[in-house]
Amino acid sequence: MLHFVLRRLGFAILVLIGTSIITFVVAFVVPADPAVTIAGAKADPQTLAMIRQQLGLNQPLYMQYAHYLGRVLHGDLGRSYIMRESVTRLIAQRFGATAILAICAMVLSLILGIAMGMIAALYKDRAIDNGLLVVSLGLISIPVFWLGTMLLVVGGLYLRSFPLGGFSGPRSLILPTLTLALGSGGYYSRILHTSLGEVMGQDYIRTALGKGLSRRAVMFKHAMANALLPLITLAGLDLAGLLSGVVLTETVFDWPGIGRLAFEAIFNLDIPLIMGTVLFSAFLIVIANLVVDLLYAWLDPRIRLGEQG
Amino acid sequence: MIRIAIYFRLVLILLLAGCSSVPPLKLPPGARVLWLAAADDVPTLDPAIGYDSASWIFEQAIFDTLVRYGDATVELEPDLATSWEISKDATTFTFHLRRDARFSNGRAVTSADFKYAIERVLKPSTRSKGTEYYRGIAGAADFISGRAKAVSGIELPDPYTIIFHLTGPDPIFIHKLTMPFAAAIPREVAEKWGEDFSHHVVGSGAFKLSEWIPGQRIALVRNPYYFAAGLPKLDAVVEMVGVNEELEWLKYEAGEIDISGIPAAEFPRVMRTPRLKALTIHNVTVTTDYIGMNCQMAPFTDVRVRQAFNYAINKQKLLDLLNGRGVVARGVLPPGLPGYTPDVKGYPYDPNKARRLLEDAGVRNGFAPVLWLRADQTMILLAQSVQQDLALVGVKLALKPVAWGPLLEAVREPNNTELFLLGWEADFPDPENFLEVLFSKRQWRSNNDTFYANPEVDRLLAAAAPISNLQLRFKLYDQAERIIVQQAPWVFLYHPVSYVIRQPWVHDYVINPMRPSRLEKVWVSPHKAGG
Repeated sequence: MLHFVLRRLGFAILVLIGTSIITFVVAFVVPADPAVTIAGAKADPQTLAMIRQQLGLNQPLYMQYAHYLGRVLHGDLGRSYIMRESVTRLIAQRFGATAILAICAMVLSLILGIAMGMIAALYKDRAIDNGLLVVSLGLISIPVFWLGTMLLVVGGLYLRSFPLGGFSGPRSLILPTLTLALGSGGYYSRILHTSLGEVMGQDYIRTALGKGLSRRAVMFKHAMANALLPLITLAGLDLAGLLSGVVLTETVFDWPGIGRLAFEAIFNLDIPLIMGTVLFSAFLIVIANLVVDLLYAWLDPRIRLGEQG
Repeated sequence: MIRIAIYFRLVLILLLAGCSSVPPLKLPPGARVLWLAAADDVPTLDPAIGYDSASWIFEQAIFDTLVRYGDATVELEPDLATSWEISKDATTFTFHLRRDARFSNGRAVTSADFKYAIERVLKPSTRSKGTEYYRGIAGAADFISGRAKAVSGIELPDPYTIIFHLTGPDPIFIHKLTMPFAAAIPREVAEKWGEDFSHHVVGSGAFKLSEWIPGQRIALVRNPYYFAAGLPKLDAVVEMVGVNEELEWLKYEAGEIDISGIPAAEFPRVMRTPRLKALTIHNVTVTTDYIGMNCQMAPFTDVRVRQAFNYAINKQKLLDLLNGRGVVARGVLPPGLPGYTPDVKGYPYDPNKARRLLEDAGVRNGFAPVLWLRADQTMILLAQSVQQDLALVGVKLALKPVAWGPLLEAVREPNNTELFLLGWEADFPDPENFLEVLFSKRQWRSNNDTFYANPEVDRLLAAAAPISNLQLRFKLYDQAERIIVQQAPWVFLYHPVSYVIRQPWVHDYVINPMRPSRLEKVWVSPHKAGG
């Protein structure tokens, strides 16, 4: 197991270094001069030259990357060109809001997905199953920006039951959480439905049913644990994606999270902030992958034994 | 099942605890507050750094300059200077300061605070966007290069007088002192906080910073030491940031904000509804939106082709697409800018004439140039209209929408962009800020992106620049503008009109044609919270 963990950790570090190189190169391939970003459209050539000198932009690319990597290893992601603030501090300021929204959305989508998936599997090929299929496909298909705007118009403007955007307390969480969770909930229900269908067709389940146990009891006691495995993997990766920011939802709801920060950075071509948010997202996804891999290996010995063999 | 319920409750408690970390805004009961919303976060409050409307609206409220513009005009007015003298050759500017001005920490404002502010802008390590405006001060070059510890051309005969000596005549230097770059800042506070000064600003303006939560909101409260009696009329100004245009409108309709932009989709309804129309506020900006044609790239080297494009494009149709929010441009200078002459006639929509000119110039049918533009929904819409107009005269225009930064980079490269859609907003109310900056050969690879060059225009611009006599100055600029319009390096499109809508309880909110709105005279009458 230790060998497996070390291998996975090594891969994770390689992926992070690769991401940092790609992000750095892409940032410099974009035909936009950081000095213009800082000095603005009307700056004269003298000002631009002075800024390039100040930022070390005249140095060769590999030197700039080496300096950047050195700073990143010390936890310094640089300073935003536009806001003139530490990128690490900006990400730290926004991560709390994103984390709360991501966890709430994940909890709700799992509750929705598991409940709908189980009910559909329990009433397989009956009207309830078909009805839930339509509902879940509907939820998956609704665009997030439309659903968010509609929830704001109805819940915020007409009913006046929820704040119109912003992060002002528990009530302000409800609409963005619903926006994020409804689609994923629908998706998870389809995954669980399929997974339960497969598990319920296996020999040990048929044996349990043959012994006279009810379908419901077999599903809860024997099938569920196995059927949930793919869902947990998927949810783990989705959570990493959510934690690295949900641009559309955060933009629609004026949610002060990482997604909106990244959106603003891209819009303003604020290269240190773009690189910081991308690296942070990559870090979260790599960690989530690592955790899922390790969890899988722990749950299913065939995986780690296969690697060793 | 009970265990799951306990876990669930625990998660909920933790989440709610996290939520409570967002502090509620503390305002005294009955406070007269102006609520605003904006899509962009405030980039900075440091006057040496900010060079955008989102920063300047607050910098104007927190800091004072020597001189400023009127609330709705571009006329110069005193701010902290009570009077000033300009030498005949426009190389020496003397300002006398009022003696009752204080920073929001209670310390008196002196001339040294203005000198420090400008030296801070000139200091290379500040990386200020305002450096270029003050390079003309005597001794600035030595200070920038580190050869001098102070700018010798800024003289302080006493704490309430400041004299600027310039290296050459610059009649518009006084306008450069209206910019927040030149606002008085207390050295002790700026040096204490260094790069973090933006979050701990202290100024002498009508308001002071109360709270700034990046990405969420910024709140200003009245400065008790503000020199003008009875101002500001508001107790606080709060702006929620990150609010997109649609959400801003919903908040306006719900009465949560007091001033809002009007989304394009709502604009016709607003103008059809008398109650809403009466609440709109508008002003023509000193901006010109245009299509630049690279005069060094064939066939735009031929003046007939450039004129043909001017005749071929229907500017009124563009304004219709903008819901009428603009006026058709007949030349370079926008109305409202001193020096503007309404008798510059420009180019009316005349596709037949355009076709003839293209034929005369030998441009074959099916000529397919590329128009570079900002990848923005409105810009693309306008460009598509231009595409349709040009198709009628046999030009197959291709559109190239790109991000803002790359667009600015691309147009500065010689022989790179034959056509580009851009706008220019004046920094100072003077023709120099359009004609010299955008059409002089000296500005190639800087802001003359059409690479237009005309010796006569350059001569007129050089002759006009040092002249303080406005009549004479504007006459020379007028001559230069007429040549430029005739030679048509731009397709002169329109001058945008800014529109906002206020709540019925908001009074004396006006739009300045060139700078963000000032807030010290705005007041709100009693009303129910949330409309």
